[in-house]
Amino acid sequence: MKDIIAKIKERFTDKILKSEEKSARRIYIEFKPEDIPTVAKFIFRDLDCRFATATGIDTPQGIEILYHFSEDATGKMVTIRTVILEKKHPQINSITPIITGAEWIEREIWELLGVNFIGHPNLKHLLLIDDWPEGKFPLRHEHES
Amino acid sequence: MNLRLKALTKSIWVFHAACSPCNNCDIEVLDLLTPRYDVERFGIILVGSVRHADALLVTGVPNYKTKERLKKLYTQAPKPCLVVAVGGCACGRVMFAESYNSPCAVDEVIPVDVYIPGCPPKPEAMIAGIAKLIGKLKGK
Amino acid sequence: MKILFNYLIFPGFLFSACVGLIAGWVDRKVTARIQWRLGPPWYQNFVDIVKLLGKETIVPEGAKLTFLLSPCLGLLSVVLLATILGKAIISPSESFIGDIIVVLYLLVIPAIALIVGASASRNPLASVGASREMKLVLGYELPFILSIIAVIVKSVGSIQIGSILNHQFNFGSHIASPSGVLAFIVAIFCMQAKLCFVPFDASEAEQEIMAGVLIEYSGLPLAIFKLTKAILLYAIPLFLVALFLGKDLSPVFITGKYIILLVIIILIKNTNPRLRIDQALRFFWGPVTLLAIISIGLAIFGL
Repeated sequence: MKDIIAKIKERFTDKILKSEEKSARRIYIEFKPEDIPTVAKFIFRDLDCRFATATGIDTPQGIEILYHFSEDATGKMVTIRTVILEKKHPQINSITPIITGAEWIEREIWELLGVNFIGHPNLKHLLLIDDWPEGKFPLRHEHES
Repeated sequence: MNLRLKALTKSIWVFHAACSPCNNCDIEVLDLLTPRYDVERFGIILVGSVRHADALLVTGVPNYKTKERLKKLYTQAPKPCLVVAVGGCACGRVMFAESYNSPCAVDEVIPVDVYIPGCPPKPEAMIAGIAKLIGKLKGK
Repeated sequence: MKILFNYLIFPGFLFSACVGLIAGWVDRKVTARIQWRLGPPWYQNFVDIVKLLGKETIVPEGAKLTFLLSPCLGLLSVVLLATILGKAIISPSESFIGDIIVVLYLLVIPAIALIVGASASRNPLASVGASREMKLVLGYELPFILSIIAVIVKSVGSIQIGSILNHQFNFGSHIASPSGVLAFIVAIFCMQAKLCFVPFDASEAEQEIMAGVLIEYSGLPLAIFKLTKAILLYAIPLFLVALFLGKDLSPVFITGKYIILLVIIILIKNTNPRLRIDQALRFFWGPVTLLAIISIGLAIFGL
């Protein structure tokens, strides 16, 4: 029985940019933004992992988004990492058509960081008020409080 | 002191109005109803509907969405209604004073009668706050 | 003149309200002691009512006059019930034929007042509470009436509380027989549901539907509803004492028997969780009705 990390590495050998094992149960694998839907579909459907959450951060290189998947049987967490280099109008394919549970977290990443999710069915404000000024994304570094 | 106010000091029904707090203050408020600090001996019980409330316990920093609802809640409570701001966030916003999502403190939305600072305030501090509230009512 | 005194002072409004509020305090104090707390002082319920009288009454927009009239309906019927019951117990010869049927009718009216008031408040949560209360009334009315029929059969067919009391005085309490015990158990369950106590208080569930039926009430109408509940707490156990334990009703014994029933109510209240409304309905129309029918059968055969 190969464990899930070996399976991911075997399936996507040419697409993995970097992989980092932080501990025995925690691994970070980096991909390009275009490959995210295929990888997410593989991990969610074929490997039967649970989508835990997604996090986003504004770094000097670009906007980095992490998708965390959890294999509940063994306690391993696989994190898919991608950096969107275009900072003026960042966009990435949405994984909501594959994983319905990702709808709200992608809305939150959009409204706080400004990442446009292509193919998202319902991109509206979630936490902030509906008439929040356009183009102001609070968690970006250039936004003043 | 007339009968109405005297009866109010001996039986205060509280309604918990949480404006999206971190829930630490809510846990400490729940502590007050447990056997160790038992506030029912003062006549205080937790009610489910805001129309039965004599005191609103406000926790958390109001953001743009909860500011409107807090104002509505205050108008829905039958007067005389007291407002207690529990916790540092409700008193003066502490570290969230310059945050992007907090426009004002609680006392700019509704008039506050008692402030109970702390993060979270200990149950003893809350009981002291209630005693000060009753003293303030009696002094009226 | 004497009727007015009976209705308003003793054994009518003032007396039953005071006894009911003190009984409510006993309930709160015993519950607190079971939970290792101290509990409120003896005058707490009285202070609650006085405080409620001093708050403003808010009438929701669009609520018609029924909103304000239905609490009064409940209070008036329950005070009449307490008067009839009190007079029947003090002087059994003064009760009239058919007064047990009048009492049964009057016992349903507070529940109807609650339902009408909740439906008139124009609040969706109140309508959920009202529908639950309707289902509960449908549930417990049937076994309650069946257990009363068992008592009537045992007292050789008399429908007058006075003659039921005389029958027990001559032949022993109705509870001292198999059919009486079964009917008494059925009546205790129905009493718990009539008083809206746990495990049958789904209509006024605090945490679930934000005080359900009473959500829009404040000030004077709320005080009237609380008074109605207190007087019910006095009247229904007294009714059960008269029907089942009515051998010796001198003041000392009647107080003792009333306190025993109160203890049973409080014990059931503190040891049970709240039932869902469909579980409560299945409970009343299943085992409880079966028990009531068995007790009627046993009563017909003279047991």
